[in-house]
Amino acid sequence: MATESQATTEHLTREAPNSVWTTEPARATTYSFPSMEPLRFVEYPRNHLLMPLRKDILHRAVIYEGDMTRQGSANTKWRDDVHGSGRKLHAQKGTGKARVGDKKSPIRKGGGVAHGPHPRDFSTSLPQKIYDQAWRIALSYRYRRGQLIIIDNDISIPEDATPYLIKEIFKVNNWGREFGRSTLITDQPNEGLFATVREVGEHAKILDRKDVDVKDLLETGRLIIEKQALDRILANHSRDLAAKPAKALY
Amino acid sequence: MPPRLQILPTQWQRPLSRPLSAISSLSLLFPQIQQQSRNAHILASLSDTPGAYNKRIRRGRGPASGKGKTSGRGHKGQKQHGKVPARFNGGQTPEIIVHGERGFNNVFSLDLAPVNLDRIQEWIDQGRIDPARPITIRELAQSRCIHQTKEGVKLLGRGAESTLEQPIHIVVSRASATAIAAVEAAGGSVTTRFYTKSAIARIMRREMHPFVSTAWTKESGSEGLNNAEGAENLTESAIMKEMGFQYRLPDPTKRKDIEYYRDPAHRGYLSHLLKPMEGPSLFFRSPVERKTAAGVKKEKVLPENRLW
Repeated sequence: MATESQATTEHLTREAPNSVWTTEPARATTYSFPSMEPLRFVEYPRNHLLMPLRKDILHRAVIYEGDMTRQGSANTKWRDDVHGSGRKLHAQKGTGKARVGDKKSPIRKGGGVAHGPHPRDFSTSLPQKIYDQAWRIALSYRYRRGQLIIIDNDISIPEDATPYLIKEIFKVNNWGREFGRSTLITDQPNEGLFATVREVGEHAKILDRKDVDVKDLLETGRLIIEKQALDRILANHSRDLAAKPAKALY
Repeated sequence: MPPRLQILPTQWQRPLSRPLSAISSLSLLFPQIQQQSRNAHILASLSDTPGAYNKRIRRGRGPASGKGKTSGRGHKGQKQHGKVPARFNGGQTPEIIVHGERGFNNVFSLDLAPVNLDRIQEWIDQGRIDPARPITIRELAQSRCIHQTKEGVKLLGRGAESTLEQPIHIVVSRASATAIAAVEAAGGSVTTRFYTKSAIARIMRREMHPFVSTAWTKESGSEGLNNAEGAENLTESAIMKEMGFQYRLPDPTKRKDIEYYRDPAHRGYLSHLLKPMEGPSLFFRSPVERKTAAGVKKEKVLPENRLW
């Protein structure tokens, strides 16, 4: 009894240890594109590239994007929409046949479709702050596994380059198919580069910043991303971080 | 090909894999320890938290599902086959006949956003509203002091006593008597003025002045409000030219609205139009006006011998 009370008092009087939070930012190396020569270190805040992995948020974001992408344009004609007359095919009685209405009936060949699909919107909603978090979680997941390769300059190749060059670059850096493919992300679309990279689609995938989804960030083995594109993605997806209260403007 | 997920961290793989390969009996005993090499991908392992959603009930999918045979619809009748109108209480007298209708919809009532004095003071303390400038529906909504502009704002006096630490000049749709008293005790002023929903939308888009309309004159607001606004000439034409507004703020046309804003007790912006001795009502005219309309009444002079 006595020991028990002692233990409880000790528990109450003991000072809570001060928690030490690491405030170290996320450090990454930037490279120059074709040579992959390391250029400099860059730092990103922890809530940009060191977000803890939340598979549920990623799941919700991927489902949200998938729903949004569905066309929902399937369309069929109900008996009223089918072209044709509403004439009764034969008399109700006396023919010896089953009674019939018009030829557009859904039980007849060439008739309307009963309960068929009609255009609809499959899109679901997700709070934008959660969606923004999902972007940063996906990038953090890549960063933590060393699969986020930041390019300091623009990803570009010479005008007359063939897909062979892309193939060689991927072979030298171990980015190709046997290493799980790679996604190149540029800030601006570049017709020539995109066409060339798409010819070696078994090794690489290329997207410009506006075309990227959370699912694209998770799909292939690694991301090779221009620094400008990364910065803009992070800036566009930090609405949940801006905790400034609204102010009246004069 | 998706990347391979490593089940064990790299530094553990070697010491674990060596003895396991050497002693095959161990791996037979504990098959789950065996190093797995399978393709796994994060996209394949994503899922929402199990507690965050409910599984869809699959009806009519066999007895084991619990919702198999009748799919939870019971036996026979309209309820099994489709929908029964909401007022059919299983064939009994409908609810609306037994208990009747209660309440009514007041079509004349305005849906106003309430705002309390203590909240305004808190917003001022946080620096989200400037007390030196007029506080109108635009400032209140922009600083999220009210969340929806609705059909106007009503100022209420929660924490009326000793809440306000500085004078404020506020223009709202309506104000409670306690709120008016508290603002004026702090040296500020309340002015109520007419708003419509579309006018508020334009005010929020900065296409319209928040309180100066055709009927607004210098006497409509207090001196403090005029000073806080800062413009020298507070008339609609001057304000519109100066600030580049394209739309004019409407004034009330309904008798009920005009009477509300003519009332000095409401601090209405039309209350300065009242003649001496006149009430806010448009029906009862001022005694001064009444006299002039009827002409000067002659007093009857009775002869000495008349009693009445």
